[in-house]
Amino acid sequence: MTTVQTNASHEVTAIDTAARWPLLLLIHASIKWLVLSGVLALIGSIQLVQPVFLSTCAIFAHGRIVAMQESIFIYGWAANAGLALALWILGRLGGSPLRAMNWVVVGTLAWNVALVLGLIGIATGDATSIAFLQLPRYVQLLMVVAYGAIAVPGVLAWAGRRTEGTFAAQWYAVAALFLFPWLFSAAQLMLLWSPVRGTLQAVAGGWFSQGIWTLWLAPLALAPAYYIVPKVTGRALPSYEFAPHSFWCLLVVGGFTGGRHLVGGPVPAWIASLAIVSCVLLLFHYFVVFMNLRGGLGRGSTASRLVAVGLLAYVLGGLVDAITAFRGVAAITQFTFVEVAQQQLALYAGFTLILLGAIYFAVPRLLGRGWFSANLVIGHAAIAFTGVALLVVSLLGAGWVQGHDLLDAKISFADIAIHTRPWLLAATAAQGILLLGNLLLLVNFLETACAGCCASATPTENPFREPSTMEATAS
Amino acid sequence: MSTPPHSDPGLEQAAASDESLLAAHEKLLGKKPDDQANYRLLPLSLLFVFSGLIFFAGTYLNLYSGHFDPHVYNEHALPHKGGVEVVKIDPRELGKKLFNNAACNTCHQVTGLGQPGIYPPLVGSEWVLGTEERVIRIVLYGLQGKVTVKGTDYSAAAMPSFGKVAGSGFNWSDDKIAAVLTYVRSEWGNNAAAITAAQVAAIHAKEGDRKAWTAEELAKLP
Repeated sequence: MTTVQTNASHEVTAIDTAARWPLLLLIHASIKWLVLSGVLALIGSIQLVQPVFLSTCAIFAHGRIVAMQESIFIYGWAANAGLALALWILGRLGGSPLRAMNWVVVGTLAWNVALVLGLIGIATGDATSIAFLQLPRYVQLLMVVAYGAIAVPGVLAWAGRRTEGTFAAQWYAVAALFLFPWLFSAAQLMLLWSPVRGTLQAVAGGWFSQGIWTLWLAPLALAPAYYIVPKVTGRALPSYEFAPHSFWCLLVVGGFTGGRHLVGGPVPAWIASLAIVSCVLLLFHYFVVFMNLRGGLGRGSTASRLVAVGLLAYVLGGLVDAITAFRGVAAITQFTFVEVAQQQLALYAGFTLILLGAIYFAVPRLLGRGWFSANLVIGHAAIAFTGVALLVVSLLGAGWVQGHDLLDAKISFADIAIHTRPWLLAATAAQGILLLGNLLLLVNFLETACAGCCASATPTENPFREPSTMEATAS
Repeated sequence: MSTPPHSDPGLEQAAASDESLLAAHEKLLGKKPDDQANYRLLPLSLLFVFSGLIFFAGTYLNLYSGHFDPHVYNEHALPHKGGVEVVKIDPRELGKKLFNNAACNTCHQVTGLGQPGIYPPLVGSEWVLGTEERVIRIVLYGLQGKVTVKGTDYSAAAMPSFGKVAGSGFNWSDDKIAAVLTYVRSEWGNNAAAITAAQVAAIHAKEGDRKAWTAEELAKLP
């Protein structure tokens, strides 16, 4: 460690070494949750084609498996990994080492303990019925407090930044840090502590589940994407002057997309209409993101390729979101596997691939040494691309078949299940493939962290470029 | 650094330092006067794209928001001027729904035939087809004790109270009582006059809150 700190010409500076172990703790937790989420997703998917699978035990009931999987994915994988990268980026672009990192360690432990307790709650039947908010009421206050503790260094780094000017990656990271506590606590208040009445609950629930995506997970993914693409290409982003508008477009319009799942529901027509319009307006945001970050396509190595494919999926997801929001399309796709496919396109193909690429970029810099096995990195990326494509396409197929069948009153429910079965078998295979890939990441991460921890912390030679040789140029 | 970095999956070399990254992008956002007229076509076209999206959004909201009226649920409709439109409900349809919704059909069955020896039938029953005075009271307040229907005695079960009276588990309005009676009196070949909510309300007002009737008490009524 000390050699790295004293070596001023090394890309890895005190900024990284100060954040090393707390952030690796977050990333470590996130990867383990990702693997566990994959196991549960596989079980849930098998149950769709083989309903008797593990059905004798209440803990493995399909509803509980799905609730646990969603909670683990959002609050285990996405939260831990997203926060680690947001903090790292805020520290690096802020120009000084992150302060108050003990808060991160305490917060990480509290957050993950709360999550484990919440999952035990779900397994024993205490889940709530609200999408993305299934964790029982009794752990949620602890989670808010723990989140606050993890976010402290990020806020300090933003408020005390030493650098002239700010960059888009910082905006998204800070927005995500601040928006989640608001979303999470407002949703808890409106849905769990003093529930609003009647259909207003559906509106609040829709606002929360869409908000988690547009106001928290999307910024958490865009922060590393905006950081890594120009870092790797060495070129300033094209059309960057529109990035602030795109940022505010997401923040202002994104919160109004909540009603898109209420099309045809018992709510006043304007709520759904406003959501549809918001989904269309967000196309501006997606378009600018694509214009800004298109330079990342086909450059760099595996990590930036993961980020690039993730960004493509992110933009594609926005387009699909706008199309399926319309009432005519929703008549076929609503309440079918198309919605699941859309969710996977956003959460897995978009968010997760970007975050995986960012982890592959960040961990060597945090540790001051390269990954244990470059082949495992390449293998994981190849597996992830295959798995994600298969998953999204098969779920889309299942949903399309299901949507058309459901509109025909003459087709029985059992027949619909038979028609979707081949597609769901493919989706199950995809879940298996994805799980395998994430296991490779876990092995690689543990080996790399062990090498950085147990062996002498001095790499044999400096693997990174010197900052003086790295100059970003306007394109 | 315009040369693309060599492929190194274990490291993913960076081509720009953080300082140069911030500086280069800050320059792009800078508000310097554009003396050279360097603006490119793209930002202008983006402006048009955004304007187009906003135009679409405004038009769509104008057409399909029901003027943001909280009472408009159909996106093609407009707010109704001058009070709420009262929709007429067919009492027989309402009665059928009430009868078959785990209330009457639990004992009297969907067929209205009851259970021999336990629950009396409604089909062809002299109580159902007879005077309104009695049948309304039975449904409003319930019936206890022995009752003779079509020559058979039934005493095993009690008819619960359905009206908005003390001790009722159902608290149906007079409209609902009238609807279900109208349904029962005209279904399964039964053919007696419909019962109006006003008739039910009159008896309800006259009797007030009281306990369930017995067959003897009812027999004394006209």
